[in-house]
Amino acid sequence: MIIPMLEPEFLMGIGVLVTLVLAMVVRERSNTAYWSGLVFAVAAGVRSFTLHPAAHLVGGMMVADGYGLVVNIMVTAAVAAGLLLAFDSGRYTVEFPALILLAGLGGMIMGLAANFILLFLGLELLSLPLYILAASRRDARSGEAGLKYLLTGAFSSGVLLFGMALLYGSTGTVTFINYTTLHLIPVLLGAGLALVIVGLGYKLAIVPFHMWVPDVYEGSPTPVTTFMAFGTKVAAAAALLRVLAFGFALTSGVWGLALGYFAVLTMLAGNLLALPQRDLKRLLAWSGVGNAGYVLVGIASHTVSGAQAALFYLLPYGMAIVLAFGVIRVLEGQQEGAQMEDLTGLAHREPWLAAGLTVALLSLAGIPLTAGFFGKFYLIKGALQGDQWGMAIGLVVATIVSLGVYFRPIQYMFREGEGRPAQWSVGAAVVVAGAAFVTLFIGVYPQPLLHFVAHAATFTWLR
Amino acid sequence: MPTPWIVGLAGAVFAVGAAGVMVRRNPLIMFMSAEMMWNAAALAFVAYAHQFHQMTGQVMAFVIVATAAAEVGIGLALIVWIYHRRPRLDVDEISEMKG
Repeated sequence: MIIPMLEPEFLMGIGVLVTLVLAMVVRERSNTAYWSGLVFAVAAGVRSFTLHPAAHLVGGMMVADGYGLVVNIMVTAAVAAGLLLAFDSGRYTVEFPALILLAGLGGMIMGLAANFILLFLGLELLSLPLYILAASRRDARSGEAGLKYLLTGAFSSGVLLFGMALLYGSTGTVTFINYTTLHLIPVLLGAGLALVIVGLGYKLAIVPFHMWVPDVYEGSPTPVTTFMAFGTKVAAAAALLRVLAFGFALTSGVWGLALGYFAVLTMLAGNLLALPQRDLKRLLAWSGVGNAGYVLVGIASHTVSGAQAALFYLLPYGMAIVLAFGVIRVLEGQQEGAQMEDLTGLAHREPWLAAGLTVALLSLAGIPLTAGFFGKFYLIKGALQGDQWGMAIGLVVATIVSLGVYFRPIQYMFREGEGRPAQWSVGAAVVVAGAAFVTLFIGVYPQPLLHFVAHAATFTWLR
Repeated sequence: MPTPWIVGLAGAVFAVGAAGVMVRRNPLIMFMSAEMMWNAAALAFVAYAHQFHQMTGQVMAFVIVATAAAEVGIGLALIVWIYHRRPRLDVDEISEMKG
């Protein structure tokens, strides 16, 4: 029996195969494989959008529900953004589209996993192609990024696996729904849960499991970094939320407290360490760490509105970060990476590009009329409803610190002088325009998205 | 053999692997240590599956072994590729990016 709710995953899987075959058949330096990858990613995203959210538990392995669909939409958007940014440069290998589609499929599987076997498979399907992609540029920095990502990834997967083994040993099951009746946490179970949180925390890049992030983000090719910053973070956060808020809902007092401390630490450390950065990709990497802390606030507040806020926040964050990386892609041209000085005078030379980056940075800082404002508003609301004053105060303090991070590039753009000339490409232009539109649209009219997400992040239907 | 003994062994292997990743500086050894952590988890899964008379843990052990094989394929290729650029393998020397 084929369940209609799984059609996006099937589309993505077929897309991987078709793209692989196309990459083999057509000659090098042809865009055919990119087009095919883009078509399948967009088709999977659109199908997720049009499906009516129902809830099926498929053999205890996966839950096909609205939550999975929201994750699908965000992950396919990240895949499409990565493909578009790599599109007409001809610098990336022909395997690029198939690999990034495969990673996207892994992320989608993490969104609907209902037991640890599938969660682990999804995580590895997401990670393995990304190790290759991170090292896909032929220079030393890319190789270094790939190696660091591989070593931390293998280590974190090992921690996650051992945590799963302990959870299995203390409960006799790996299916999340069987955990929902647990009231107490014995020692073995607690150790297992802690290791699972640490293992997923590495992928989500929360402090103190974040040290790989800046190097990997800086060294990887920009399209790959774009996918990592959005797609990987969405998948990891979605899996963590599903395990904790759904599986361990009744013992939230135990993990909520620990996660709250991690959240405050991550928000403050991420934004403080972003302050002195001069490399734009590194700056955004640290900002991604800080934003992982914001998402964690929603998860740690263990209320329904907190879970909704965490899922909602992923989209404003993702759109802003995709927009910022799109601008970097236009700026960097043939030479990867961009420094703060390259922005000098951008507001006079390339007003549209400067406007795009400004929207992205304002949204990341959480200024009203951008999507980031509503994201942070609902996170604070969720934290306060869970009576978590400490996290709400931490979020506000971190936001104030982050103003210093995000206003500095804007300052550079309005300076007089000659920076680096921009090199527009059609794909990058589409990404910048699309992400800017979504950021501003959600910032002005968030109700439809909010309704969609709020419905998806309510797990109570199973209890 | 009682399950706690086997899980204790798995825990020891896991600890050795984790210590190896943190202490050693050769990427090959670090990668091998990480694989040890995976295998410790697989051992714990099998021990518990035996105790519960279930197949779930056994299936998970096979999944772990298969995924580890895929990861080794990619990992070794990456490490060899980096080795071609610099003859001495040390992660402290592979650090062009700082800050």
